[in-house]
Formats: sequence, structure tokens, C-alpha cells
Amino acid sequence: MMSHALTFAEAAAGSAAVALILTQLALFRSVVIPELITLYAVQSALVAAICAVVGITGHGWDLVVLALLTAAFKVIVLPAYMLRLVRGVSGRVELPVRVNVTLSILMAAALTGVAMLTASRLPLPAGGFSPRADLATTLAIVFIGFLFAILRPNALAQVIAFLTLENGLFFGTVTLAPGLPFVVGVLLLIDVLIAVVVFAVLVRILIERRATASIEAFSELRG
Amino acid sequence: MSWLSWLVLAIPGAAAIVSFLVPSRFGRPLTAVAGIAGAAVMIWDAFGNVEPRLDPLSALFLLPVAIVYGAAGVYTAWYVKAESRDDPAGERYRREFLVLTNGFACAEALVPLLSNMAGLWVALETTTILAALLVRLQGTDAALEAAWKYILIASCGLAIGLIGVLVLYAAAAPVLGAHHVPEWSAYLAVAQRLDPDAVRLAFILALIGFGTKMGLAPMHTWLPDAHGAGPTPTSAMLSGVLLSDALYVILRFAGITNAAVGATMSHRLFVIVGLLSLLIGAFFLLRQHDIKRMLAYSSIEHMGVVAIGLAFGAPLAIAGALLHVLNHAASKSLAFFAAGRLVERFGTREIAAIRGGVQALPVSGALFALAGLALAGFPPFGIFRSEIMILAGGFGGGSAWIAGIVAALLAVAFAGLVRWVTVTSTGNAAEPIEVGERTYVPAAAMLVGFVVVLGLGLVVPAPLGTLIARAGQTFERSP
Repeated sequence: MMSHALTFAEAAAGSAAVALILTQLALFRSVVIPELITLYAVQSALVAAICAVVGITGHGWDLVVLALLTAAFKVIVLPAYMLRLVRGVSGRVELPVRVNVTLSILMAAALTGVAMLTASRLPLPAGGFSPRADLATTLAIVFIGFLFAILRPNALAQVIAFLTLENGLFFGTVTLAPGLPFVVGVLLLIDVLIAVVVFAVLVRILIERRATASIEAFSELRG
Repeated sequence: MSWLSWLVLAIPGAAAIVSFLVPSRFGRPLTAVAGIAGAAVMIWDAFGNVEPRLDPLSALFLLPVAIVYGAAGVYTAWYVKAESRDDPAGERYRREFLVLTNGFACAEALVPLLSNMAGLWVALETTTILAALLVRLQGTDAALEAAWKYILIASCGLAIGLIGVLVLYAAAAPVLGAHHVPEWSAYLAVAQRLDPDAVRLAFILALIGFGTKMGLAPMHTWLPDAHGAGPTPTSAMLSGVLLSDALYVILRFAGITNAAVGATMSHRLFVIVGLLSLLIGAFFLLRQHDIKRMLAYSSIEHMGVVAIGLAFGAPLAIAGALLHVLNHAASKSLAFFAAGRLVERFGTREIAAIRGGVQALPVSGALFALAGLALAGFPPFGIFRSEIMILAGGFGGGSAWIAGIVAALLAVAFAGLVRWVTVTSTGNAAEPIEVGERTYVPAAAMLVGFVVVLGLGLVVPAPLGTLIARAGQTFERSP
């Protein structure tokens, strides 16, 4: 339990962390790819804003630059590109639902609980963005990203799951270790670019073969 | 870093840049020369007295890069020509291949040279990106699928590894300051002042995350695909070096964890992932029908053996595990190079269709058979020596039950490997197959691995023995 009343900054930071988790949970209720891309853009905007706030409130201008790069790529350029890519095929992409939406969200909520419990056992440092929630939020977003990739066995959806998971990592890097080298943030962005290239290749195959992008189509390589 | 370490990076780095700028007829010999020169400089850096000297663990883990890059540079110079057509598309393929291979070697050599934990993650992630691009170059559907699976699984694994780095960073912030440079040596120095739970969590995350990259079960599922579907030199570099690079990062975490909370936890976790990897590797070896996937499962098995050696904790077992890393790098790169020659000659990776390998390719086929025997743990090869050291450390250190299980699983792996090696090497080819080597360039590359794995079986040179002993002490320190 917190021993003092929340300041406005703490409350705002906590709310932003919760909003991040909510965008991650919202993935489960979307059954079309463009909606998932939009959600990713919204989540990226939140992460970019948090990065900018951490940078401006004393952790260095490199974080502000990183926030601007994030906003440019992950909020505008890449989502727009991905939306254009799937414009023609999104009607054909059916997201398989292994577990229904309600149960999926309950499972994700349980994972969030696990993330909070794990984080609460660690006396991690004061400071950061939202000290009590930084690690928990990072873990929750990563766990839910994994869950989404498992419960929606579709190659395009899994790329988006990876992208959101990377948002969680980016959030963790900025809030837990703002002193980490700039290059970590930049490499995370390169990861995103590679994932988007993979996304583009998958869509191209989808168009060429008129197949579904289910990973079950990828079955040549087995143990 | 010393100027020599910078040179270690500069050689493959410069070779990558120049290969991009010049036609492949110049890039190919350049890559071969860079491989040999790079290997020589890496060995010099590991054993030389150039200040500031490398930490023993860093020096030791530079050796697998030297062994494999030295051979892969020469092999690649031949391979890209043999694998591509004489047209503009072929030239583009060759150039891309040479650039990526040299770049990949540069990133692999960077890992043991870095002291910054976040930098380690950056270097490993760079290897993932470059390796996936190399696997993709094969252009087949299987290669696309393998590259996709590799990127997704390895990056997700590394994501968990990065959280491990973040947790460690956050745990050290109260001691070293909120803006400290995350050097492993600094963490090691203050290990006992770090929060034990945070250190434990960081190690678990690192073992899962970087263990994915190392091919430890149950996170190994990408490995047979990427190693099987990738081009031969890439498979050799993935298996011989990248797995050991990931192990190097895990050992840095293990050193900090052992110093902070004692070695019991890391030993227990190493036993679990080691036995599981050995079990999966050994039994999947029995039912393989693809020659390169067979070698990939053998990698999982051998990474399991290394993890168990680390788990036993006895100095003999740890020395065996570290020696095993070198033996595996040498014999596995040899095996992949030779298998690549068989696949090229027989036009298939199906074990059932490859018969009379020694007859068709007297040198490469024979070297494949010898590599298979070395990997199976046959004397007098180095793997026999390191496995005996690990088992003796286990039996002598009070882990007799586990050592017994390991010996039984090694027998299963032995049976699988020897069976497939015998099938592919002996007898006569079913269809008329061209007989003779045609070129001895790839065989020359294979000789590197063969000489190393045979030499390490016969004798461990004193400087190497000392280096291994000192490297073991860097992470096996309790509070």
C-alpha cells in the first residue's frame, strides 16, 4: 500500500501505464487486422509520450529524440504503411480464435496479476516514471503479447503481437533504465522495422497465393 | 578495449563494407583472406599480452569465432560461386551473401569483447537480424518460414533477456546510481549489495531469453529450422558460434548471480534445461531424415551437455563444459561444411537418398564421417575428452545420479549419430553419382575444424588449459 497521497504527476503516470495495458488487452477483441494496426499506433503514441515525459523531466534529451523517432515511425509511418499493405487483403484474413474473447481477456488479466505480484516482490528503485508500476507494466505487456501470439495463430497477428511486445520493452527500457545507451532504443526501432518487413513479405505471399496467413500454412518444418 | 580487439572487429567489418563496394570476384577472395586474418588476430587477442588484456572468459569465447570464421571465410568464397548463377541476380546474391557473412562474423566477435550488458543485448540482437537475412537468402519457402520463425522466436527470447538486463539495471541503481553504465564487472563488484530477489529474477529471465538463442530446450524450436534451411556457411556460424555467444551472456549473468546469492540456484536451473535439451536432442537424433536437421538436433544435445557441465559445478566439469564449447564449434562447423558438400553432390538433404558419401566425395565424405564420430563422442576426438571431464566431474562431485542419466542419454545420441553417419557414408550410391572432389577449397576449410577437434582430443595445450581454468573462476564464485 502506498503510504502517501498520489501527486498529480504520479497519478498521471499510473494512468498512462494502465492505458498501455488496456490497449494491449483490446487486441483480443479485434478480429480484423486494420483494427490491430490502429491499436498498435495508439499504444505507440502512448509509449512515445511517456518517453518524452521521462526525457523532459530530467533524464536527458536523447530520450526526447528517441520519443520523436518513435512517434514518427511507430505512430505514423509504419502503421500507415501496414494499413496500405493490408487494404486489399484484410477481408480475406480471418483471425482464428482459439479461445473466445471473454476468456482470453480473463487470462490476460490473470497474467497482469502475475506480473504485478512478481514486480511487487522486488524492492526496485524509486524514481523512474511510475516507480511502483514500471516493471509490472513491462512484464504485463510482454506476457499479454505472448498470450495473444498463442491464442491468435495467424502470421500477421503474430507480427503485430511482436510489435506490441516491443512497445512493452521500449517502455521498460525508458522507465526502468533511462541511463541505458541510446543505441538500445534505436536497435529496438530497427527490430520494429525488420518486423514490418516480415509483415510486408507475408502480405505479399498472401496476395500471390491467395492463401490465408495462418501459421498452419507454414508446416514444412517440423521436428 | 585494446587496439587488438578493435582490429578483431575491424577485419570482418571492413571486409563487409568492401564486399558491398566491389564485384564478388574480388569480394570472394577478400572474405577468405579476412577469415584467415581475422582468426589469427582473434587468437592473438585471446592469448597475447596486449594491454588492456581481455578477461579470461572473453578471451576463451573469442576462440569459437576464430575457429569458425577462419574456416567459414574460405568455405564461403567457394560456396557463393557454386550456389549462384552467372547473371546479375547471381551477382547480387553473391554480394549480399558476402556482406552479410562478414557482418555476421563481426557481430559475433563483438559479443565476447563487450563489457556493457546492454551492449551485449544489442550485439546479440544484431546477429539475429543478420542471421535471419542470411537464412532468407536461400529463397525457398522453407527458408522464408525458417527466417520468419527465427526472427519471431529469437527476438521474443531476446525480449525476455532484455527485461533481465533491465531488472539488473534497476536493482543496481540504488548502489551505482540511476544513470550508471551497466558493465558486468561493476555489477560483479557490488553483487552482494544487490537485492537477491531481483538478481534471481534477472538470472531466470536471462536464462530463458538468451537460452532461447542458445537453443536450450524447451526454447529450441527455431533451431532445427534455421540451421536446416539456412545456407551451409550460415548454419556453421549459427551453430558453432552464435550458440556459444548466447552462452557467454548467460555466464556473465551466472557470475553476478553466483556472487550475489550463491551458485545453488544457477546449478539447479542449468540441470533442468541441460537434461531437457539432452533428452530432446538425443531422441530426435534417432528419428531424423534430413541431414542438416540431424546436425541441428546434435547442437541442442551438445548445448545440453554444456549446461550440465556448468550445473555440476566441480572445477573439472566446468573446465570440461568450456572445452566442450570449443570442441563443438570445431566439429559442428566441420560437419555442416561436409554435409553441405554431400547435399550439393546428391542434390537432396534426405538421409535416405544419400548413400556412399565417401565413395562420391573421398575427402569431404570421409571428413563428414569423422565429424559424425567426433560429435558422437568417439575417441580420440576432443568431444570424447570434454564429455569424460564433465561426467567425471559429476560422478566425483556428488551428482552421480544425474551423471548416470547423462551417460545413458549420451549413449542414445551416440547410437543415433553413428547410425546416420554409417548410412550416409558407406555403401554405394543408388544412382550413378559423379565421383571425385572437383575442388579442394571446401575441404581445406574443413581441415581447420578437423585439426582442432582431433588436436584437442590428443592434447590440451598448456596456455589453453590455463585460460579455461581462469575463465571458469570468473563465474563460479560464491559470496
